[in-house]
Amino acid sequence: MDTTAKTAYLTKEDAVPAQPKLLAHPTAKTGLMSWLTTVDHKRIGFLYGVFALFFFLVGGVEALLIRAQLMYPNGTVLSAQMYNTMFTMHGTTMIFLAVMPLSAAFFNYIMPLQIGARDVAFPRLNAFSLWTFVAGAIVLNIGWIGPIFGVQGHNAPDAGWYGYSPLTSKQFTPGHSVDYWVMGLQLLGVASIAASLNFIVTIINMRAPGMTMMRLPVFTWMTLITAFLIVLSFPAITIALVELMMDRNFGTVFFEVSGGGMPILWQHLFWVFGHPEVYILILPAMGIISEILPTFSRKPLFGYPIVVFSGACIGFLGFAVWSHHMFTTGMGTVATAAFALATMAIAVPTGVKIFNWIGTMWGGRLMMRTPMMFALGFVWMFMIGGFSGVMHSAAPADTQQNDSYFVIAHFHYVLIGGSIFALLAGIHYWFPLMFGRKVSEFWGKLSFWIIFVGFNVTFFPMHFLGLNGMPRRTYTYDPNLGWNTANYIASIGAFILGIGIAVYFAVMIYTYYKGEKVGRDPWDGRTLEWSLPNPPPEYNFRVIPTVHARDAFWYEKNNREQIAAERAVAEKAESDHGGIHMPFNSIWPFVASFGLLIVGVGSTAFEAKWDVPGIHWKLGLSLLGGLVTLIGIYFWSLEGNEGYHLHLDKDGKPVQGHDKDHGHGKH
Amino acid sequence: MRFVPSSLVRAGQLLAAVAGLLLLSGCDFNFWRMDGHQSTMLAEGPVARSQLNLFYVTCWVTLVIFILVGAVLAYTMWRFRARTEADERAEPPPQSHGNPLVEIGLIGASVLALVIIAVPTLTAIWYTHDVPEAEKKNAYEVTATGYQWWFKFEYPSEQAAVDSAGAKTPLVTGNELVIPAGRPVRINVRTVDVIHSFWVPKLGGKIDMIPNRANFFWLQADKPGYFWGQCAEYCGDSHAVMRFRVIALDEKDFAAWKEKQLALARSVAAPAAPVAAAAPVAALRAFKTNEVGVSEAFDRNPLEAWRAKQAVEKDENSALVAQGRELFAAKTCNACHAVRGHGAMGVQGPDLTHFGARTTLAAGLIENNPEQLRRWIRDPESVKPGNKMAKAYRDNKITLSDAEQVALTAYLLSLK
Repeated sequence: MDTTAKTAYLTKEDAVPAQPKLLAHPTAKTGLMSWLTTVDHKRIGFLYGVFALFFFLVGGVEALLIRAQLMYPNGTVLSAQMYNTMFTMHGTTMIFLAVMPLSAAFFNYIMPLQIGARDVAFPRLNAFSLWTFVAGAIVLNIGWIGPIFGVQGHNAPDAGWYGYSPLTSKQFTPGHSVDYWVMGLQLLGVASIAASLNFIVTIINMRAPGMTMMRLPVFTWMTLITAFLIVLSFPAITIALVELMMDRNFGTVFFEVSGGGMPILWQHLFWVFGHPEVYILILPAMGIISEILPTFSRKPLFGYPIVVFSGACIGFLGFAVWSHHMFTTGMGTVATAAFALATMAIAVPTGVKIFNWIGTMWGGRLMMRTPMMFALGFVWMFMIGGFSGVMHSAAPADTQQNDSYFVIAHFHYVLIGGSIFALLAGIHYWFPLMFGRKVSEFWGKLSFWIIFVGFNVTFFPMHFLGLNGMPRRTYTYDPNLGWNTANYIASIGAFILGIGIAVYFAVMIYTYYKGEKVGRDPWDGRTLEWSLPNPPPEYNFRVIPTVHARDAFWYEKNNREQIAAERAVAEKAESDHGGIHMPFNSIWPFVASFGLLIVGVGSTAFEAKWDVPGIHWKLGLSLLGGLVTLIGIYFWSLEGNEGYHLHLDKDGKPVQGHDKDHGHGKH
Repeated sequence: MRFVPSSLVRAGQLLAAVAGLLLLSGCDFNFWRMDGHQSTMLAEGPVARSQLNLFYVTCWVTLVIFILVGAVLAYTMWRFRARTEADERAEPPPQSHGNPLVEIGLIGASVLALVIIAVPTLTAIWYTHDVPEAEKKNAYEVTATGYQWWFKFEYPSEQAAVDSAGAKTPLVTGNELVIPAGRPVRINVRTVDVIHSFWVPKLGGKIDMIPNRANFFWLQADKPGYFWGQCAEYCGDSHAVMRFRVIALDEKDFAAWKEKQLALARSVAAPAAPVAAAAPVAALRAFKTNEVGVSEAFDRNPLEAWRAKQAVEKDENSALVAQGRELFAAKTCNACHAVRGHGAMGVQGPDLTHFGARTTLAAGLIENNPEQLRRWIRDPESVKPGNKMAKAYRDNKITLSDAEQVALTAYLLSLK
């Protein structure tokens, strides 16, 4: 088969006319500039991971402060207002700045490798997504200058991660905190949507020859479904946030009660986004688990088509259950019944996944390595979280549980026991591929057990707290309500969990520098990323692989001669067409994102008043930021989409200088 | 591949288990019983019971599934794990891809299990939605309104006296909802500011108070009792301390209570002779932040405590009461609070006409006794951060001396 049939850009071109100096392509391979200008999906994925883990630790500290406050009744660690800030920022940070970008790190790093691609479809758009995410994270957290540095009138958001109207209106939250929250989420939305479009195009168009949709690794499938969920659900919150921004700043009355606005509208818009968001957080995790379990069971995934189909089914149904967050809003009998039944229905495809994971292990040879431990922990914990989820679908029972600690227990079982366990498993699993080193099994398992114990000690008692009537988002409680012991245990558990996470990361950092070196394919993997040397070279695949079976690399390992012969032909064909095509680095995506950061800060941190710093700064910075973004996008277009060619020696090292290629707008 | 010494892992697991047990043994396990004042597991009315029964259905169904699936999972983990290094090096097992029959069977079984939950869910949705048709005539109606951060309760069918000339207005109380036991109560819920949620766990699950939305809810207390409630939707700074109580009374007691409530505020005759200058008043002791304001004695029999509260305070000092009544106007308390018959008509704060007969203050937060009441009127901000009374103190530069606090306290507690 001709592997170059799809890759039209692999044509040799004559020398290109010299570029104006401003458009010279950055060529730094190391140092700060190399990171700011990188378009390599692996480096971008790594940066996503670093930022996500930083915010994971920030969100974790916020959680520990919450538990410190609630350890004893009538606690005084935090003031009421600061406690409210903590739970708001804990939720927002963990969802938007930790779990989502950590998933994005894996989408970026792993997905192109799994489909046999050399990069994502739009490498510079990918860089733009990353830096816009960073801009959003900064805007979201800028309010900390209030409590930490004592800057008057600024506060971190404290209206809840779900920002229910009318509490978020200017009347009830007069400061800047909600403005930061609105603008931060808007920027994160831009980043997420841009990244998702990129992933969708990549998965659909850039698969290696023979990688049919039903041969995609499950993680890639879940990336695709998640990307569709993001593209379809984020517009709902974008609209809601625009309306809220208009209400707060320009006197519109979308939610403003005094003008006849409808606060309930916010809830519908928010949860039309918010419930698919839950699946945006869990589907990538399910994808990771569906990679790890087969590898360490040494068997293919049980019932691959049904796992994929149920993932898609969850994606569709995820849009039909948003109002189960609103069973107490007086929707009436029919709407309540419909959403209750739809919610029950979604338990079926979710349960199917559990059955198939067990089926995968059945008859296998389970290698109990650290990634497998986290994966098994995931299956157990996710089951518990799933069952309490089914309990919530019984609407009348849910009216007792809604906004109580029972709900907190439920979604932490799904989000920590689910998403976080899977992401921690994924880090362990792909660490050897990314860095060529492996975490010590002893320390890896030790961190697993501390995290597992700490997690359960923290969150299991919360089921009882909730059923015993403790409401959420309360900074204090009286000692006569029977909540003391469970809260005390939960707080102890939280500190154990904190220690576990600290051990996990200490071990990870140690391993990064000093860990045991491993060769290619340390786990006897099944998917294409394991066919690469570690760490993978910038061009990923020396030869774009041809895929013959679902577990492509497993097939390769069992049919070496056929593959070697194919490779030789394909390599020669590619070389004849000019070698490996690589995109140039570019600073312009970073410039465009930096402009958005200026807009984000400028439009939120200043009052619309005539004094200084007031409206002049607000308008001036917004316009300046807009201009910077436009300049970034303009030069981004102007520099064109050309790249260069690499030629490799026997060891896979690039030889001679760059061999320029300009794309004629074909890619 | 290098192996971890499994003995080390075992030792670690054991250590964690022992540490966990030691940690737990120091605690009192009462939280398993879930018998607190706000327990959803102790239903004391038909609505809460219907919700609780449904919870048990979901709980048992999921528990059975968990045990079945968990047992298979545990067996799989145990049976198929690689026990030795040789196991890991062995040839991979057969590369099977799935079994459609097993999968379709399991999907069918899951759907069946969900039907077991779905049927009672639907029944309960319709039952808990509104007062059953047959009992509608017997239903008693009240309106609950959420404020940042307290509850107003209005009785649209009860006309209370406004002045001695005979003008009437619907009866209004604050933070303690008194209802007839054994009768369905339909509660209209409203709000004047942000979203709140009305939740009395032992009587029924919650309903949100949403602006521009006419929500309602019903509940019924099986027998007379005293119930704890709390706002269950985050509503700003002091959401955690926005609480309330529901007191259910039998028919006779309820009628008696109603009669007292409909009357004008109680007036205590001022002493005929001018009173000598009062002895110096001791400063109020300091309270810690968030210090608990309820007593164990009260908790033992709250309904009795409520009954006791209906009687005139034992050490009532008519001179202090008269002085307090003047202060109530002088310090502009009447701008926000109403005391029917005493010329106070404010509507922004709770109606205080029969405040002395309530068991709690500051929205069900602290016990209504002289010490706690003084704590509250001296520095409301420290009890309930961000509340409007504290803001009014700041805006209007209102301060109360120790003697003024004592007089106001005596007056407010005389309002039986």
